Amino acid sequence: MSDDKIANGLPMSRRGFMESVLSVTAMGMAASAMPGLSQQAWAAGTTVKGYGVTTAQPKDWSRMTKSIGVGIDYTPTNADIGVFMRDVMGNDLAATHDIFIFDGGTEDILGKEGYYAEVDEDHPELKLWARTADSWKRSAFLRAGDKQFGVPVIGNGDAFGYFPAAIDANPNGMDEVPWTTFFEGENVKGRVAIDRSWLQSMSETANYLKHHGRITVEDPADLPPAVARQVADYLVERKKAGQFRTIFTAFEEQVQLLSNKEVAMINCWEPATKEANNALGPNSVIYAFTVEGYYLWGHGAYVAQAAMERDNVDNIYKLLNYFLDGEYRAFQAKERGYAGPNMDLGVQYAIDNGWSKEDVDNLKWSEEKVRRKFQKPFFCKVVPDNADAMEEEWQRFLNA
Amino acid sequence: MTSLSRSDTSAPSPRRPFAKRLLDGLSPSRLAVPVFLLSWSFLVLAPLVVIVLFSFLQVKAYRVVYVPTLDTWVSLIDSGRWMTAVRTLRIGLTMTVIELLLAFPFALWLAKGCKSKTFKSVIITLLTIPFFLDASSRIIVWRSILGTNGAINTALMSLGITDSPIDWLLYSEFAVHFGLLGTHFPTMVFPIFMSIALIDDDYIQASQDLGAGPAQTLFNIILPMALPGIVAGIVFTLVPLMAAFVEPQLLGGGFVDLLGNSVNSALQQLKYPTAAALSTVVVALLGLCLVVLILVTRKRHDMASMFMAIRR
Repeated sequence: MSDDKIANGLPMSRRGFMESVLSVTAMGMAASAMPGLSQQAWAAGTTVKGYGVTTAQPKDWSRMTKSIGVGIDYTPTNADIGVFMRDVMGNDLAATHDIFIFDGGTEDILGKEGYYAEVDEDHPELKLWARTADSWKRSAFLRAGDKQFGVPVIGNGDAFGYFPAAIDANPNGMDEVPWTTFFEGENVKGRVAIDRSWLQSMSETANYLKHHGRITVEDPADLPPAVARQVADYLVERKKAGQFRTIFTAFEEQVQLLSNKEVAMINCWEPATKEANNALGPNSVIYAFTVEGYYLWGHGAYVAQAAMERDNVDNIYKLLNYFLDGEYRAFQAKERGYAGPNMDLGVQYAIDNGWSKEDVDNLKWSEEKVRRKFQKPFFCKVVPDNADAMEEEWQRFLNA
Repeated sequence: MTSLSRSDTSAPSPRRPFAKRLLDGLSPSRLAVPVFLLSWSFLVLAPLVVIVLFSFLQVKAYRVVYVPTLDTWVSLIDSGRWMTAVRTLRIGLTMTVIELLLAFPFALWLAKGCKSKTFKSVIITLLTIPFFLDASSRIIVWRSILGTNGAINTALMSLGITDSPIDWLLYSEFAVHFGLLGTHFPTMVFPIFMSIALIDDDYIQASQDLGAGPAQTLFNIILPMALPGIVAGIVFTLVPLMAAFVEPQLLGGGFVDLLGNSVNSALQQLKYPTAAALSTVVVALLGLCLVVLILVTRKRHDMASMFMAIRR
């Protein structure tokens, strides 16, 4: 069968089809070979591509675009260690994304391995860096090997939420509630929910046991195998005693468990109590001040090393600066209850933009709340040296 | 006649088209079987072999160490992950039996008892719902029904049947069994329904005409003829049950971890060798179950006859 015959029957001959394919391929190859074309195309837009934890994103990014003229294409994900490692290292996300917002601590591996770029503290767009307190920007969980990899975004000291009536606590939420109630309180027995994240739950349990002299450990967030076993033994004993109603996994689950009053106490994130109170009424659920201390966490914004070789760096640094500024701070505190660096700028933003006195007072309270929490012991290590042992022991708890 | 026959046989046969000769060459023994086996090995068996080999590696500081070791398998025992295998097998087998006991009479009624074609069509359509609804959306609804403040507990307390909420309705093995029931019912019903529907009514009528009672007809006529469908139902139900993930997570409340949950947990921590070892356990358990099934049913049935319904 000749090409002509095909041409008579079909709209395109075999030779014509091949010519078209080769032409398109050649054009594509030529375009890709032109130096700087892909970088220029990347820089042409103002959008920064971000990837990271859900809680770092404000409820409306368009405010930011209006304020600083930079848009963001943000892909939210959960806060598992595996996600950070798998997606950044295994899936080479740096090739397609400019910034990552992860739990502080990931730089211990991803910074040292060269996936994160060091923060250029003198970059002209990072205008608020100098006035940002060292307590935030020089936190150990944003640095590795004396190098600054992260810009602080938000942070908090995590504890647990509770219904004050269930434990006869003061409904104003100002009392310190001991973790003893969470683990051993008879009045909440069978109505306690514990996070399936071993990093958080094992650390909190270890801190509680350490505080009461029941284990000896230097860092409750990084448990050597023998101590991890002791902590798991305790949790297994409490599980068998019927203390826990459920072992939850997701943020939505936290909100549901509180909103339908399935549990009386839960070591959840603070925004879950806010969401539950939206459904149940103000101060129905309290996020605890505790006796023994807090699981400290902070999200850092990290620039992908590969992004520093693209021509979008100015926009990336405008975005980093936005995380230090008042608008982001004010809305994160209002919408999620999270604090962060330069809280005073958040308060000023609220005043300048005519927020109600109640909102302004709440912002001031967010700052005061975090300050009060950090007077207690706090602990956190996103990438513990003993992660393998801790995870194995946690499985023993789950399977007991 | 003889000469004609001789001339017929000696005459050269007309040349068949090339395509037909090519197709004739694709006889099962010459090409199709080797090609199929090669493809099957590449697509299914090769990944399985890789999984098994991977289980003999380990992870340190989130990185796979490519040195053969038994540490991962030892850790399955130390961490209690092996218990998920036992629990998964127990729940898988229990649920398969429960589904069979519920599905067989239902399928029998649907195939032979239900006379309305419209009603039958509606029921079959309803049975397909689990296939096109997302499992999470379907299962999470039960939380608000089975919870301590859920519909059932509220109703029980309102009616004065109980004084306090029944805790075990949710976040328990009961809840997981309950959730699995709806998900896997259709996979048991459909094959049994198909095999019973294909039984000629004349056989049943003949059995009755010869004086057999309903029980005798059931056990001596229907059950043996439906056996291929029953075996297919068991296979199609047990296999996905071994990988059940959503129901234990959403209704088990973390207390009923099955192998699927344990594999997921290992993957989240980048413990690929652990996930590989757990997957190896799943495959081994399934293989074991199928071997037992074949041995038990071999006198009355061979596995290939599961697909007889299609041929009929």
